[in-house]
Amino acid sequence: MITVDDVTIGYGNIAGLTAVDAVSLTINDNEILGIAGESGSGKSTLMRAVYGDFSTGLRIRSGSIRGRFTDPRTGAVLESDSRDFPRLWWDQISYVPQGSMSVLNPLMKVEQQVIDGLPARERGNDRRALRARIARFLEGFGLPETVLDAFPHQLSGGMRQRVLVAIAAFVNPRLILADEPTTALDVVVQKKILLMMVEIQRRLRNSLVLVSHDLGVHYQITDRLAVMYRGKIVEVGRTRDIFANPRHDYTKALIAALPRLGGERARAGKEAAL
Amino acid sequence: MRRLTSFFEDAPFRLYLGLFLVVVFVIVGGILPWLAPTDPLEWYQSPRNQAPSWAHVLGTTSLGQDVFWLLTWALRNSLMLGLVVAFFSTLIGVFLGLAAGYAGGLLDRVLSFFMDALLCIPTLPILILMAALFGGQLALPAICVLLILFNWPYPARQVRAVALTMREREFVNVAWFSGESRVRILTRHIFPYIAGWSAANFINTVLVGIATESALAVIGLSSAQQATLGTMIYWAIQYQALLAQRYVWIGAPVVSIVLMFIGLFLVSSGLSMRSAERRMSV
Repeated sequence: MITVDDVTIGYGNIAGLTAVDAVSLTINDNEILGIAGESGSGKSTLMRAVYGDFSTGLRIRSGSIRGRFTDPRTGAVLESDSRDFPRLWWDQISYVPQGSMSVLNPLMKVEQQVIDGLPARERGNDRRALRARIARFLEGFGLPETVLDAFPHQLSGGMRQRVLVAIAAFVNPRLILADEPTTALDVVVQKKILLMMVEIQRRLRNSLVLVSHDLGVHYQITDRLAVMYRGKIVEVGRTRDIFANPRHDYTKALIAALPRLGGERARAGKEAAL
Repeated sequence: MRRLTSFFEDAPFRLYLGLFLVVVFVIVGGILPWLAPTDPLEWYQSPRNQAPSWAHVLGTTSLGQDVFWLLTWALRNSLMLGLVVAFFSTLIGVFLGLAAGYAGGLLDRVLSFFMDALLCIPTLPILILMAALFGGQLALPAICVLLILFNWPYPARQVRAVALTMREREFVNVAWFSGESRVRILTRHIFPYIAGWSAANFINTVLVGIATESALAVIGLSSAQQATLGTMIYWAIQYQALLAQRYVWIGAPVVSIVLMFIGLFLVSSGLSMRSAERRMSV
């Protein structure tokens, strides 16, 4: 679906910062791809480039990002460079941003924001029918219809994040990019939202790219995993294989850092020894 | 429409009082001038120096003009000047401020340079200079243009600051990601944040426009051939209305200006109180 071919991405002019360094990656149809890595490793930059948002001074220095999409109505195959992706936004590709607290406009009711994001072909329909469809869709996420008439500050963080996922999924996109969608949430809500996203992916049989620094999240839901470290992808493969047999030192360190049930509690052990 | 009427239910008293005053002035200045029996600017249409009576509600001037009908004309011209100046300065200011703040880069630097330059220039001395150059015959449209030129940078500068912070808000990013155009983002996501402020700025600029024109007229620098609140005061002073104890003549425009200012101020502060209440109650 998306082929990232030996791409180097930086900010500003040639002398500026290089955030992603000679990365190659494929995003296949019908899979959940995880991207793991520490802060500043280039995860979000790569996501922005794949999404085709070059409004923030992002530059592709070399290499290319190409996508193949099938138009759902005509069935025509559309192949294009990520620079041309903006016209596919919120139609073929959608994006779940990070940080649920500030991503909804505080002055607009939820219904208006859901409708605003829709492509023109959806918006032209009868308003009442559209609202009913959105309400039914939200119900699948455990959100009552009253959410549509609420302002964002009247919803909890988890509800807001679910609204965002719902907005991103409502148009049945072929590719959903989720940039740390569960970072600010507690683990129970986090799990609920992740399961919801898996369910959507299984139903639509599309591609979901999940960026997270939390390996536990990747272990739970992703099919394939790419580990980024200092602007490079150091390891990529089936998630199960990577967890069973990590090859790169950084991946080993990450997996070793996960808390284990029944594992030794270093501090408690030391205190007992004293 | 229902939202509009509910906005005025249980509003603070000052909003009602302010609206009442403004409506009175709009009626006096907007409708009554059409009903004037004679052209009140024409001299010696009425007996001179009359005290208030049924025939001449506010008496007549030493030039044989009816004070009441003269006042309606003056109010019309002053209100029109204030509204035109306020409308265009707010429109230009908000538009250019949004453009500068949201687009950034070279456009921002060029626009900011002009805003800062115009803000630094003291308005009244320049206007006095211009008026003196025109030989004290500055017509109303010319004053309008000058006032707009000097008043748009105030809203522009403040709107630019708001737009700068809005550009970095996450929900503006999300709107951009969901494929909304820049114009749509500006109008739907950023403008609502400054709409209330723009209304307050509009009212404030009406006051500034009327006050500046009156100041010019009183010192005799705008064309005295047109009726405005300022020129009425100018003529009254010229003919020693105070010494002659013709208090109604000089008092009418002064009281009108004061009441109009109070009315507009009450509307402005009442509106902001009302919207603050609504914010709390949601």
